[in-house]
Amino acid sequence: MKYTKILGLMALIGVFAACQNDPLKDLTVEDSQVFITNHDESVNFTQFKTFSIVDSVLIIGNQGSGTSLSDTDIQFLNTVIQKMKNLGYQYVSPKENPNVGINVAQVRNAYLNVVSQPNPYYGNYWGGGFGGGGYFPGYGYGYPSYYSYVQTREAYWYLEMLDFKNPDVQNEQYNVIWSAMIRGNGLFDGVDTDTMVQSVFDQSSYLKIN
Amino acid sequence: MNIIKTLLLGIILSAPAFAQQNPQLYNLPSPYDRYSHYVATVRGGAGIPIGPFSSSYIDKPTLRNYSFSVDWVLQKPISIGVEVGKTFYSQRLPRAIYQTTDGDISAVQTRTIDLMPIQGVISYYFAKPNAMIRPYIQASVGADLLNYSLYYGSLADQLQSVKLTYGGAAGAKFLFKRDGSVGADIRIKYNQTSLNYDYVDKGVGQINATVGLFYRWW
Repeated sequence: MKYTKILGLMALIGVFAACQNDPLKDLTVEDSQVFITNHDESVNFTQFKTFSIVDSVLIIGNQGSGTSLSDTDIQFLNTVIQKMKNLGYQYVSPKENPNVGINVAQVRNAYLNVVSQPNPYYGNYWGGGFGGGGYFPGYGYGYPSYYSYVQTREAYWYLEMLDFKNPDVQNEQYNVIWSAMIRGNGLFDGVDTDTMVQSVFDQSSYLKIN
Repeated sequence: MNIIKTLLLGIILSAPAFAQQNPQLYNLPSPYDRYSHYVATVRGGAGIPIGPFSSSYIDKPTLRNYSFSVDWVLQKPISIGVEVGKTFYSQRLPRAIYQTTDGDISAVQTRTIDLMPIQGVISYYFAKPNAMIRPYIQASVGADLLNYSLYYGSLADQLQSVKLTYGGAAGAKFLFKRDGSVGADIRIKYNQTSLNYDYVDKGVGQINATVGLFYRWW
């Protein structure tokens, strides 16, 4: 009797724990988008006047890499060019020694997660675990070690700006002086491209020619 | 003849004694006064954030606040029991830019915290167990299974942990009918859960104002 009560309480905790709620169910596509920018604070961005951009979108990820030039990609590249021009930077071809170069990439990762069974559901037809009635009172279920696999994917836009004007000669590399990530929902349907790109430039007020 | 008279006299004289036994039976205190018994209470109502938790993380009250308790009511004006509860706070903030070590993050924050306390409760009562209105004060301590989830857009930062929780409460129980087993419960409870993570660095303080129903048995 004592144990029944304790187990009753435990069952209640289980019920409470199962009542998980989805706090994001009313989140709009625009509100789901997250814009993350980083920059090298030692760099004075007013020294750069000209820029160029990759001719197609890079695909980076743990499933392999490559390039892509779909309609959405072209739209995205053109939007970046337009926003840079609006800031006063001059668009030149890669052969004309641009001050900075912009990479545009889609990062696509897929992860396989292992989830152990059982799920927390206990029926009571065969005696139902916790000591009450049924055919085999007091017996719980001996679950075999089932595992199931859950695949999650993430995909987001990644932009970075390379400093061609001041190459790191010692290490033979171009420094990344600015980067931006656009994450969330509705990134690749082309609807919000303009506001998305505008957002990352809006929050990077140091990007200016004067 | 004498024998019959004596018998009749005996019956007449003893009649008041028979008559008195029944009123005495009904004058006995209720079993709820005489024996220790159990009370099960279901409560629901508002959860109101207070203190540093309110000023630094979530200040929006919630109605997702429930609890269930079982108390062992002693003949002294005391009961001891166990209470499990659930409170879920959630608040959406408009888009803003957050400066972090990972960069400038522009996002719509959805701040949530899910509390599931399991507490031992000791109560002191200001009236007899069978009183129609029985005010009480409580002190409780236990463990809180908490889930701190802060969403930037659809990206989550989550902490699940078991933390110390304690609280104090004042309330009253109202019987629906004299000597009955069902009644209402009103309670105001202060509760504090220790937590030091991200935005919440001085614990989760809250006031729970609940109404409930109780059932008692012995």
